[in-house]
Amino acid sequence: MKIAIVVQRYGADINGGAELHARYIAERLARYADVRVLTTCARDYLTWRNEFTAGVDHVNGIAVERFRVSRERNEAEFGLRSDHVFSRRHSLQDELDWLTSEGPTSPELLARLSRGRDEFDFVVLFCARYFHAYHGARIVPERAVLVPTAERDPAIGLAMFRPIFRGVRAIMFNSPEEQALIRAAAANDHVPGVVVGIGSEIPASVDPARARAKFRLTGPYVVYVGRIDANKGCAELFDFFTRYAATRRDAATLVLIGRAVLEIPTHPSIRHVGFVDDSDKFDIIAGATALIMPSYYESLSMVALEAWAIGRPVIANAHCDVLLGQCLRSNAGLYYADADEFGAVLERVLTDDPLVDRLGRNGRKFYDEHYSWPVIERKYLDMFAFLSSNASTYRMERVPGWFARKLRSLRPAAQVLDELPTGPALDVDDRGPGRSAPQRQGAIA
Amino acid sequence: MDHNQGRRGHFHRGRRGPDRRGPERRQGPPPDQGNRPERTDRLDVEQVMREIRTRIAQRSGIDLSNQQIQELAARRLEAILDPRGLKPELLDQLRRSAGERSVSIDAVAAGGAPSYPFDESTLYDSPNALLRFIRKLLQPLLRMMFNPTPIAHALALQSRLNTEIAAREAERDRRQAEWNALHYEILQRLALEVSRGSIDAHNLLLRVESLAAKVDFNERRVRSMEGAQVRVRPQEAVQPAQPPAISASESAAASPQVVSAVQPGEPSRRRRRRRRGRRGPGTGVPAEASATAPLAPGAATEQDDGEIDEGYEEESASEPINTMEPLAASEPIAVSPAVAPSEPITPLAPIPSSEPTTFEPPTASFEPHPSEPMISSEPAAVEPIDSQSGARHEEPAPPGEPDHRDE
Repeated sequence: MKIAIVVQRYGADINGGAELHARYIAERLARYADVRVLTTCARDYLTWRNEFTAGVDHVNGIAVERFRVSRERNEAEFGLRSDHVFSRRHSLQDELDWLTSEGPTSPELLARLSRGRDEFDFVVLFCARYFHAYHGARIVPERAVLVPTAERDPAIGLAMFRPIFRGVRAIMFNSPEEQALIRAAAANDHVPGVVVGIGSEIPASVDPARARAKFRLTGPYVVYVGRIDANKGCAELFDFFTRYAATRRDAATLVLIGRAVLEIPTHPSIRHVGFVDDSDKFDIIAGATALIMPSYYESLSMVALEAWAIGRPVIANAHCDVLLGQCLRSNAGLYYADADEFGAVLERVLTDDPLVDRLGRNGRKFYDEHYSWPVIERKYLDMFAFLSSNASTYRMERVPGWFARKLRSLRPAAQVLDELPTGPALDVDDRGPGRSAPQRQGAIA
Repeated sequence: MDHNQGRRGHFHRGRRGPDRRGPERRQGPPPDQGNRPERTDRLDVEQVMREIRTRIAQRSGIDLSNQQIQELAARRLEAILDPRGLKPELLDQLRRSAGERSVSIDAVAAGGAPSYPFDESTLYDSPNALLRFIRKLLQPLLRMMFNPTPIAHALALQSRLNTEIAAREAERDRRQAEWNALHYEILQRLALEVSRGSIDAHNLLLRVESLAAKVDFNERRVRSMEGAQVRVRPQEAVQPAQPPAISASESAAASPQVVSAVQPGEPSRRRRRRRRGRRGPGTGVPAEASATAPLAPGAATEQDDGEIDEGYEEESASEPINTMEPLAASEPIAVSPAVAPSEPITPLAPIPSSEPTTFEPPTASFEPHPSEPMISSEPAAVEPIDSQSGARHEEPAPPGEPDHRDE
């Protein structure tokens, strides 16, 4: 079996969520199939500037073909087009222009896919919202397996993606919430899909004492791991935490791991240790009372899964459907919707050791049952076997003609998104391909 | 963290009355919301979150989230701006003004009718050079037929007026948009605060009702205690008429009389100890040692002074029934006016006929009411009786020492 993995960026030092996801999947599937990665020369997802050399490369034993990006992203243009298609009545051509402005536009990559149409048994396309995934799915719909990594952002309401979601051979979802969202947006129940997610490289043992000594961490602490950015909910986290700390003399410490894009408030109970390697990261998480995930939009929180994998509970933002759903399904995390709840939840986990232990055990169990690598690999292989034995009966809808594309008949994407169901999906059946979509419970917070 | 969560509040420690007796007292502690999930095999984070939210609601006194209050306020705002009472479209206008404030201001700033410079040459102007030339050529011919100059002046003036009016109009619209937004904001906040205030008032009303019930109960308790004293006093009043009981005590020194009064009072002291059981160790003296230590002079009164349970201790302190004095046959027991100053009890109150035990000897029938602490302040009076009876005398614990003898 020969598999192509198509992703916008690829490299051992690229740690974006979807890119890391793609690399892990490529390296894992390479044990069972001939895997080849098709990607761009870009390293920076904001500019798509060509920084890698075009041609064939090898990353951790995986063959990687890199293709040049024809134009860098113009932030101002992309912003204007985003505003137009998300909040105004627009045409399909507007959406296509928006996609081109988003990038990464690499006609060479698409040409390579077109040339190798019969070379690969399956083409796994990562990140539905990007240029390569949209056009790649249109080039090889009969072999396309989509990993959408979709969040609840307005892009999911764009009309141009609906034929893609309906026309690919299969969809590998990251979470039941993502599955329910895409099923509702595209009405694509006929497309085989399974909630897979991603595993992680969990170390065999962790040493919290070493991290405490190295980073001089004393007393109980909670940890946030990721880019320290307002878009990740960090501004709200700082606000809630400082409010909580103002009412406690012996407040726990908030340890921040990651690159800071947002200014971190100067507070005796907030410690920023910067970007650390994986061993330090896992040791710090293992020594923490809990991991905090303040993000509003997540398609799958890998760091939450990592915390659960080493038996640490998670405190999640209840406004994020995916995180809320994961907490409820795993019974391994608490959640907050406002500052009061944040303080109360934090207080609870800091003072209730039996509860923390039990949450941690549940998290470990949840990770082992759903996100350990044998489970992930089996789901991919089962899907490939299913697709090999079942021919596709659906043909992807064609792109409308020139006049139809120019017709300003499409509603704002944000408006479309608002009409999609919200809340965590609890009735989940992710045993294999061809299952129906999970039912939403409705907003809890 | 509040380590006292789940425990009774301090004000409950000295309470006496029917609410602490009976089956409800033996019931287990109220279900601790925080520990229930740990006792179950399966953890339910939804249940944990419900408990956390319940605690937050209890703490804030309002069982509504901020979002719910805002929704309530929005509904109140709708009610305030009822279309039947006001302009039907006012709410929409205000909302639109508030939401599109920046847009409208920008539009006003950039908008207005386009103004054109107008002079005499404008009449003959054209983007087409040939046409412009022909017009200029034929201009004298046109002037022969009528005078275009006043027309040009009038139009120029009108153009300037139009520009000024448009500017004034734009400024007025901008201010109006700002006022609309401000009014909407004020109304919204007002409605929010009114909602919050009404919820607070409702909660306070419920609390007042609860406190009123407690006050009522306490009044009934005081009345019942006063009634009990009235029943006790006639028994003591007839003590001089019962020489055998008194003489048994008087066989020793004069003080043993006191002891005879103390002994029946022991249950009362026990009852007091129960209310003091939760004091932490203050002096470092072990409880066992304190239980067997000789009573220091004035220890009982000192302990009472240091007791946290003010309500009960004040009551006991304000009832100085003088048990130290020998009970003379003609001397009735003095009742402190501090117990019920408004209702002075006369020593010769009529004895209820329904209580025949009043005429029995005091040693056999006298059961002092628990509310009367018949405690001797003189240790010397206690010692001989202990040695005579052979029973272990229970000394009150030193101040600040936990006393769990009855628990």
